[in-house]
Parts: sequence; C-alpha cells; structure tokens
Amino acid sequence: MIDAGSMNATTEQPASHEGSGGFPPFDTSTFPSQIFWLVVTFAFLFVVMWRVAGPRMNGVITTRRNKINGDIAEAQKHRGDAEAASAAYQTALAGARARANAHAEETRKRIGSEIDKARADADAKAHEATVAAEARIQAMRTEARTSMTAAAQDAAIEIVNRLTGETVSASDAAAAVKAASGS
Amino acid sequence: MAMHPMEQFEVKPLIEHPLFQIGGHDIYFTNQSLFMVIVVAVASLFFTLAMSGKRMVPSRTQSMAEVSYEFVANMIHSAAGDDGLKFFPFIFTTFVFVLFCNVFGMVPWSFTVTSQIAITFAMTAFIISMVIVVGFAKHGLGFLKLFVPEAPIYLLILLVPIEIISFFTRLVSLSVRLFANMLAGHTMLAVFAGFVVMLGAAGGILSILSVGPMLMIIAIMLLELLVAGLQAYVFAILTCIYLNEALHLHDHH
Repeated sequence: MIDAGSMNATTEQPASHEGSGGFPPFDTSTFPSQIFWLVVTFAFLFVVMWRVAGPRMNGVITTRRNKINGDIAEAQKHRGDAEAASAAYQTALAGARARANAHAEETRKRIGSEIDKARADADAKAHEATVAAEARIQAMRTEARTSMTAAAQDAAIEIVNRLTGETVSASDAAAAVKAASGS
Repeated sequence: MAMHPMEQFEVKPLIEHPLFQIGGHDIYFTNQSLFMVIVVAVASLFFTLAMSGKRMVPSRTQSMAEVSYEFVANMIHSAAGDDGLKFFPFIFTTFVFVLFCNVFGMVPWSFTVTSQIAITFAMTAFIISMVIVVGFAKHGLGFLKLFVPEAPIYLLILLVPIEIISFFTRLVSLSVRLFANMLAGHTMLAVFAGFVVMLGAAGGILSILSVGPMLMIIAIMLLELLVAGLQAYVFAILTCIYLNEALHLHDHH
C-alpha cells in the first residue's frame, strides 16, 4: 500500500509533465498532500484571525463606535445645556424687563402724584392769595367809601357854611350825605 | 510551445522526496502547498499589520481590513442572527481564505488553490460536519426535525427522504460550485492564451488577428476577478445559511 502510493506519485510526475495525465483535479494521488496542507494553512489562518486579527478589528471598531456614541451623547448634553441657558437667559430678560417696567411705572406714578400735589399746593396758595387780595380790596373799598363819606360830610359842612354861614352839625351832615348817596 | 489548458491545474511536488507519511500516504510540498502558504502568509500579514496601528481614524489598509470585517459580521448577522456571530472567526477565515486563493489565482503563472475539487470538497465536508455537530449539540435529537417539514403524514414518507438527500447534496453543490467556477474561468483564459500564441506563431495576417483573443483575455480577466469575489461571498454566505438552519431549525423566518 505504502509502496504503491509512493510509486504512483513518483511515476505520475514525468507523465503529467508531458501534459497528458488526464484531468488533473481528479488525480487522487495528490489528495493527501492537498488536504494535509489545507488543514495546516487553514488552521494557521484560523488561529491568526481568531486570536490576533479578529480581536484587534473588533476592539478598534467597538472603541470607535463607543467613542462616536459617547461624543454624540456629550454633544446632546451640551446642546441641552445651551438650550437651558438660553431659556434661563430669556426668563431673566423677561424678568428684568418686567422689573424695569414696574420701576418706570412706579416712578411715573410718584412723579405724577408729586406734580399733582405741587399743583394742588400752588392752587391752594393762589386761592389763598386771591381770597386775601379780595379781602384787602374789600377793606380798601370799605375804607375808601368811609373816607369818601367823611370827605363828603366835610365838604357838605363846608359848602353849607360858605353858602349860609350856618354851621351844620356833623351828624346832620352825615344823615344828609347818607340820604344823598341813597344807601 | 503550446500549453495544455489543463496543465495549470496539475499538482506537482516542488521537493522531489515526500516530507513524511500519514496513514501510508506520502505528503509532498507541492506548487499548490506553496501557494496556500503564500496566501495564508499574505492574508495573516495583511490583517495583523493593517490593524497594528489600531487607529481611531483608520489608514487605507486598516479601513480595508475593517470593511471586510464588518462585511462578514453583517453577513453572518443577517443570515444566522446574533448567535451566529460565535462562528465569526471560522466564517471570516473561510471567506478570506477562499477570496485570497481566488484572487491570487488571477496572477499569471500562479496556482489557483480553489480550482482543486479536493480542497473545496474538504472544506465543504468540514462545514457540513460542523453544521451537523452544532445542530445536535444545540437541539439534541430535535435537530432531526430539520428533515421533517410540516406536511400530512402520508406525504412525509416522500418528503423526508427528499429533505435528507437535499441536505447531503449540499456537499456536492457547495464544493463543485466553487471548484467549477475557478476551473472553468482559468481553462477559458488558457484556451484564449493558446489562441494568441498559435495565431502569433502563424505569422502574416494571422498575427494581427491575435489581437482578438488578447482582448477576450482582458475581458475574461475582469469577469474572473468579479467571479473570484462573488464565489468567495457565495461560499461564505451559504455557510452562514447552513449554520442558521442548525442553530434555528426552521423557526427562523
């Protein structure tokens, strides 16, 4: 058996060199060598892929995927933060605006009330002054009337005295003036 | 010198004496062995060196390695689900081995490892055995339900043998598909190359005509590159589909 196999293999070679050895892939004498080397080389490649190349590729791809996912998550977080900050800013802005408006309104009211008060004061003062002036005018008018009556009385006494030479008493003159003035 | 188109498929010892014997069979270091060693060395170096940087932003070679990794991972995930990923190292190795063997075979004067039925059949036999072992390990005797479709009992007498035959036919279909594709493409290339040589040697107007088969060679080369990738993909995805049946029986729909 052993001799036959080796004989077959060794005698086959010169024949096939001449290109007449039938259909080469069906030459069973080469099968043991083919399968032996297939097993050896395939097993070697399998171990390399299984133990070295595969884990390396898997590691790199997994690391990269994790990194990308991590980065995306971080970017999402940053965006959330930015949105929150923007919302906080808007709220703060609205609050500040409301406060400013309130402040302005208050100031406006205060100034308005001050103006009103000042106007009222001025009005009151003017009224007071008017009343005082009217009173003074009245007094002056009364005084003028009194002095005019007295002057008329004196004039009447003097006129009567000049015309008649009689001396009229002050009370008569007063009555006559009163009657003449009709009041 | 006219070359026989089949000469490229001959497995010839590079070292005249057998290295040793296994079970009475001589083991030679052949041209095919050399190319298997080259393919595996290149593939191993490529996938370890490309990933040696472990860069977050990959270089071109690292990107190629990662793309092939994710391609196979997605393929397994879609064909065999989450638990199929346990078989990632094996399926990835199968895909890379077949792809590199196919593509290396495109280099002139190289040897196409996958054009040997012994290689493709050995791989297929291992895959089908693995499917059977995984099936029985996961489902026990329930794995046999794979061969019993939902049908009335009188039809099962007919259907069960058909299911069993179709299961074991995969041994042939999976191995012959890859082997025949590689063999046919390379035979065609050799035949057209022979025409170029014959027309060129004929002289005169016939030498000019040799441009025709030359252009054909270029066209077939491009086609064969496509076939090389496609057959590696088909081989790997069918492995996934068979594994899926072992893992999920018929319930994975």
